[in-house]
Amino acid sequence: MPLLINRQPAANDSWTLVNEETLSSTGGDIIVPLALLEANADSLQDRKGRVAVQINGDDNIDALLENPNQYELIAIDFPVFRDGRGFSLARLLKRAGFEGQIRATGDVAHDRLTFMERCGFNAFEISEERYSDESLAVFTEVSVRYQGAADDPRPVYHR
Amino acid sequence: MYQYNEVDQKLVDERVEQYRDQTRRYLAGELPEDEFLALRLMNGLYVQRHAPMLRVAIPYGLMNSAQLRKLAHVARKYDRGYGHFTTRTNLQLNWPKLEEVPDILAELAEVQLHAIQTSGNCIRNTTTDHLAGVNVDEIEDPRPYCEIIRQWSTLHPEFAFLPRKFKIAVTGGPQDRAASQVHDIGLHIVRNEAGDVGFEVLVGGGLGRTPVIGKQIREFLPKEDLLSFLEAIIRVYNLNGRRDNKYKARIKILVQAMGIDKFRELVEAEWAEIRDSELKLPETEISRVQNFFKPFEYDSNAADDAVDTLLAENNDFRVWYERNTVAHKVSGYRVVVVSLKPYLKPAGDMTSEQMEAVADLAESYSFGEIRGTHNQNLVLADVKKSDLLAVWQVLADNNLARPNIGTLADMTVCPGGDFCALANAKTLSVADRINEKFEDLDYLYDLGDIKLNFSGCINACAHHHVGNIGLLGVDKKGEDWYQITLGGRDDEQAALGKVLGKAVSAEEVPNVLEKVLNVYVEHRNEGESFIDTFQRIGLATFKENVNATAH
Ligand code: SF4
Repeated sequence: MPLLINRQPAANDSWTLVNEETLSSTGGDIIVPLALLEANADSLQDRKGRVAVQINGDDNIDALLENPNQYELIAIDFPVFRDGRGFSLARLLKRAGFEGQIRATGDVAHDRLTFMERCGFNAFEISEERYSDESLAVFTEVSVRYQGAADDPRPVYHR
Repeated sequence: MYQYNEVDQKLVDERVEQYRDQTRRYLAGELPEDEFLALRLMNGLYVQRHAPMLRVAIPYGLMNSAQLRKLAHVARKYDRGYGHFTTRTNLQLNWPKLEEVPDILAELAEVQLHAIQTSGNCIRNTTTDHLAGVNVDEIEDPRPYCEIIRQWSTLHPEFAFLPRKFKIAVTGGPQDRAASQVHDIGLHIVRNEAGDVGFEVLVGGGLGRTPVIGKQIREFLPKEDLLSFLEAIIRVYNLNGRRDNKYKARIKILVQAMGIDKFRELVEAEWAEIRDSELKLPETEISRVQNFFKPFEYDSNAADDAVDTLLAENNDFRVWYERNTVAHKVSGYRVVVVSLKPYLKPAGDMTSEQMEAVADLAESYSFGEIRGTHNQNLVLADVKKSDLLAVWQVLADNNLARPNIGTLADMTVCPGGDFCALANAKTLSVADRINEKFEDLDYLYDLGDIKLNFSGCINACAHHHVGNIGLLGVDKKGEDWYQITLGGRDDEQAALGKVLGKAVSAEEVPNVLEKVLNVYVEHRNEGESFIDTFQRIGLATFKENVNATAH
């Protein structure tokens, strides 16, 4: 699946998103949904390869916000594009001081990338059929930002 | 009024080009239908019963002559020569072509207009008092805060996919002419004991399927904290509002389910995190925006008695003056309400010619500005009394001077089944029936102020729950029926109407209304309004009498 990191196509991504079935059989660096990660906390400790977490709007992320930098990557899932909770989740992570990659997964495409980037996302997994070279151009379509956000906390009158 | 700077202009221009590209990709089959739907909604484009409908934002109802002329032009060139003013003070075009919408938006951008966030699950056009800045009892002009909210909410990256649409209203003093208590957030400018000006904040009001009066979440919010507090509320809502059922997704449901105290706790906790951030509004920014709304240079020699003789001589003019003009805080001036409720024409509709006539009038007599009201009329807010006759004559020539403001004939009516795909029943033809039945203006004047609000379905676009008389279209086995409620009001004493009885047919509506009005006339005390009488004698008296005389 095409992946953009920092507005560029990323060629060699080492991360694999796993689910309940593929968790034990997947080697290398894995992204594990929060609930699954919590249920398998012990076994994941001895694993070779890095572990990242995936969250969505239904998860309680209070504990994660205490210490987000234990991960170098946190994925936020958009089950459908209308579910806008992920935008706020990204902002909460940034506010908690998270410095790693915030990756958008799920229903991610073109016309939401700028909003996502402004909220703190810097990586986007986009499905094949929704990806085109034009996807790279969207970041500069609308340059005006009235309000502060994760990218720049200053509103327009402070810049 | 606010004037765009380069940044504001750039935003709307870039947005037009972005939408042009989105439309192109959609028409080329590169953008899936449901995704384009979300994008076109965020640009104000719906698909209606017959054609797309484009909703143009009139921020807090304020426009200038050039903008109204442009709307007239757009309606003529791209539509059928008329537009429809809504209760959110926006203008709807009912017949634009999908492929021409980018061109329409480009034309609108030339005069600092756009259609951004007039639909979709985002923060919508903020509304306010149509008498802002010119009424006597105002603490402060609310419009600068509306503009500050407009800028903050426009393309807000976090709040473009809320659980449901989100509406904010701001009032400037103790009187509420913006229905603020039935908004997702209502902001009231108040003065605290220390004499500071700030906001009382209400949350969780709304109409639709579950009508609710907003609850106070904060008694006094300092001005500089306006944006951080709004952001805290909406973040809590975005994270916690229901997304499994669109009928339960508005913030009112969340506040109800959680209870206002728990909700307040969450908001306060979030607010504590962001209160002392860049969201704090500096005094310089508030005064920069306020400078755009400074009072006009009124003529200090304008005579207050300029029309007294005329009023005595010309009965038609006097009647119009009494019904369709309102006191102005400056001596020698008057506020003119342009009635968009002519006899047997859809409420809120306006032809291009009418728009141009009003634009000209504003330019000649009212500092070039026009306002929309949440009752679908327009306002020329600053007319010298000595100019009133001239204004009245032009309005009358253009069928915009029916002296019916505030009366039963000043109905607020949504487009209903003739246009709206969601409607359960037609509204326009039934509104005509009511108008025909109560055509006699003297009778209407005798009845005094009565608000009638008429929605074609439970979405309540015409605010029927808060009409003194509310009409709601319901579908009974494919036929149009109408439920009547009494006792609603949308002012500072907001209340929800109570159901009078079983729904009635279109033919029966005027007769039942007549019975209701008879009960009022019979029971009222000297000078008592319909709503006051209702509150004194209660629904039961109306029920008894209306049902006793049925058949
Ligand atoms: S109230 Fe219903 S019928 Fe009327 S405009 Fe709204 S959605 Fe359409």
